[in-house]
Amino acid sequence: MSDETRNRGFSPDEVRTLAGVLDEIIPPRDDGRLPGAGALGLARYVDEALENMPELRSMIGDGLAALNDLAARRSSRVFAELSKQDRSEVMNELASTEHAFPPILILHVYAGYYQHARVIEALGIEPRPPHPKGYQMEANDLTLLDPVRRRPKLYREC
Amino acid sequence: MSEEPVDVLIVGSGAAGAAFAWRLADTRMNILCLEQGDWMDPAKYPGVRNDWEVRQLGDFSISPNTRGRREDYPVNDGASPIQTSMFNAVGGSTILYAAHFPCFHPSDFRARTLDGVADDWPIDYRRLEPYYRVNAHMMGVSGLAGDPAYPPKEVPLPPVAFGKLGETLAKGFNRLGWHWWPSDSAITTQEHEGRAPCINAGTCLAGCAQGAKASTDITYWPAALRQGVTLKARCRVREVTLAENGMVDGVIYYDADGAERRQKAHVVVLACNGIGTPRLLLNSRSKLFPDGLANRSGLVGKNLMFHPYAMVTGIFDEPLEGYKGPTGCCIMSQEFYETDGARGFVRGYSFEVVRGFGPVSIALRGMQMGRLPWGAGHHRAYGELFDRTAGVVAICEDLPESGNCVTLDPSLVDSDGIPAPKISYRLSENSTRMLEHGVARATEVLEAAGAKETIAEAPLPFAGWHLMGTARMGTDPQRSVVNEWGRCHDVRNLFIIDGSIFVTAAAVNPTNTIQALALYIADTMKKNLANLFD
Repeated sequence: MSDETRNRGFSPDEVRTLAGVLDEIIPPRDDGRLPGAGALGLARYVDEALENMPELRSMIGDGLAALNDLAARRSSRVFAELSKQDRSEVMNELASTEHAFPPILILHVYAGYYQHARVIEALGIEPRPPHPKGYQMEANDLTLLDPVRRRPKLYREC
Repeated sequence: MSEEPVDVLIVGSGAAGAAFAWRLADTRMNILCLEQGDWMDPAKYPGVRNDWEVRQLGDFSISPNTRGRREDYPVNDGASPIQTSMFNAVGGSTILYAAHFPCFHPSDFRARTLDGVADDWPIDYRRLEPYYRVNAHMMGVSGLAGDPAYPPKEVPLPPVAFGKLGETLAKGFNRLGWHWWPSDSAITTQEHEGRAPCINAGTCLAGCAQGAKASTDITYWPAALRQGVTLKARCRVREVTLAENGMVDGVIYYDADGAERRQKAHVVVLACNGIGTPRLLLNSRSKLFPDGLANRSGLVGKNLMFHPYAMVTGIFDEPLEGYKGPTGCCIMSQEFYETDGARGFVRGYSFEVVRGFGPVSIALRGMQMGRLPWGAGHHRAYGELFDRTAGVVAICEDLPESGNCVTLDPSLVDSDGIPAPKISYRLSENSTRMLEHGVARATEVLEAAGAKETIAEAPLPFAGWHLMGTARMGTDPQRSVVNEWGRCHDVRNLFIIDGSIFVTAAAVNPTNTIQALALYIADTMKKNLANLFD
């Protein structure tokens, strides 16, 4: 795919591959309470996050293509159709090539995942912005200061 | 130039400019402030949306280089181990600061006399004490009287909530027999002068939509504007202009449309922070001052001081609710503040306990620390971090060194084409030893509080929040840029009132002292109005 085309966003096929990649980066939690990052629909979030970073988008697009090439060589299928075991192995294989995904992709995946309402709720926090409701906190226990109050002055007179 | 000169022209509307404008307003002089940034709209601060943490990586980053907005100027700090942080808007860097608000100590003004290093200030703690009191009321400071680390002082509002995290750390300090005390915080914990109390949203570093954190756009400026001060936003000053008589006569600036304008003034007051002020002086060259305005001493831009920070993060077994409460304000310790020769360094540091982080921030910090892998172990690793971390930072006193400095970058410019500042800075051996001591002691207190593991970072690379010393005050024109009340030795109608004039840095956050100094300088000017230029 040309860079010009890619600058308009990833293609549906690329989004599908990317969703598989995201599920490898953050897989579903074992207890089933949290989906993987791909299943959560973060491929479009990542695509939008890269909107003003054409070089990075191009680099990631090349990585997605390389991933499918590796998958095809392994089993004549695209990455998204591989078994979980094969996906992990292909991801590890890609990591040692020139098309390894840059750390900033991980950063965007983490950022998108941990602001998602479903994830926030699973962490035990009400899924809403901090403002205007804020958070309740207990009153301070000022008796903890008793030993400090008994100390002589620490500052120097001058 | 504008036909009508103003009496007093202030450049910069942040911590210092706002306090100064308000204090001088009752003179009924014609006072104008030019600010390169715009008014902020608290209703649009990141904390009102779910993506608030992510915006701290972009348009609400503490780094002007990352934000890159029109009103920001770039800073070449690539060769410094500590990168600079600031914000450009009405209110300046108080928009994004943590609002940790301690005073200096009496000994901070006497480093030469007491410890044989740096220089004494030409003023002392007692001179500033009444202005700390005024500032505490105007900014709405919370805390607790009776701290044995300070001379007696008043605190208008009760302390911010310790929370489970703060109490856990307080018990650690108590187990070691170390000093700790609730942090003085410029955060309202009760209704105060029309401001609502803190709701523990934890978004301080992204702007306070509640208005509980004291940024000067909501504290000093409304009061100053009511008294007739004029503030023009989105006006970036390029240079201060000099008349033939050797006095300054105004400034050249770019307005919101980028058009070049001139403004005459009888007095010019610089309040642009410890980087912006020397940048402006160095950009204001003339035949009389070929090396920069008011720079016959050669000290403009020299002696840049940050506070080198060490941060130790403790990982605990139990949830600490660290995403609740003011981000940077909880409790602090000054057990290692005053000089003790046995420690291997002079002067000292404060500990500040900082809260945990929100869900996104902890993921990104975990990634940065190499503690959060992608793939199979991700959820287990995240579960060990989220809501189970507490931070202890050591804020170390930096001593003035002429090699640490602000100069003009030969090629980097801002959006108006004005040369940008370049930072040259290295950590001194004294600071390095202090950081090592701070890491060891912070680790000790976290373990005493129950941390099962600790991770240290020193110096914190992004912690160039405190910008001081680049136009220092003193009585000797050969060894200082301004006199004991902020007037430039070389130009008698030019004043500097921001952190540039600090002689030493102390080991606490500087904003309270910056503002106390600005109030004191305003009062001194008022007393000397009849012979201000003598």
